[in-house]
Amino acid sequence: MKYIQRKTVLLGSVLGVAVGLFAGALVLGERLSPPVSGLCFGVAGILGGVAGSRLIMARVERNWTPEERKEIERGERDERNVTIREKAAYSSWYWSLYLLWGLWLLTLVTQGGMYVAFVSAAIVLHCIFYMVNVGRWSRRM
Amino acid sequence: MTNRIAELRKERKLSQAELAEAVDVTRQTIISLESGRYNASLLLAHRIARYFGLTIEAVFLFDEEE
Repeated sequence: MKYIQRKTVLLGSVLGVAVGLFAGALVLGERLSPPVSGLCFGVAGILGGVAGSRLIMARVERNWTPEERKEIERGERDERNVTIREKAAYSSWYWSLYLLWGLWLLTLVTQGGMYVAFVSAAIVLHCIFYMVNVGRWSRRM
Repeated sequence: MTNRIAELRKERKLSQAELAEAVDVTRQTIISLESGRYNASLLLAHRIARYFGLTIEAVFLFDEEE
């Protein structure tokens, strides 16, 4: 119970920070430089989205009956669902890579300057993360 | 690989939901197993066979050519 209360307080605080950032950026308006304003709105959006959705989920979970909770937990560890999630993640990795290649070509065609370097770095990191995780799982299995 | 899950389940007058709960999977997994769209892991095959009181080979029929 204490854990749930602490989690709710933490999520509420994060949501408060998000609202504060959003309101601050809105009130200060043009007194903030565009990058700082964008950063405030961006961070507020991410924090608000994560904390808000977690708070809503926590509220929904509280209304579950023990049977519903058991059913949902079983669905979480069900081996077919786990396989589906793994296959989906694997396909998504390729789709993200194609998307990045597409972006890279676009930045080249439009002479994106620094963006070419950013997208190139993203492609390299995308592949490095994959190889690191392959290595990690090879050691585990 | 084919299996006799539907046949054994009907023999014992069990619903898909009851079998799913007994072997700790979702009903959708039982449906997929029965229709042959999904092959069980060794662990699940063992749980299902043990639930029916049979060996894995008696429930899951391996095709040599596969």
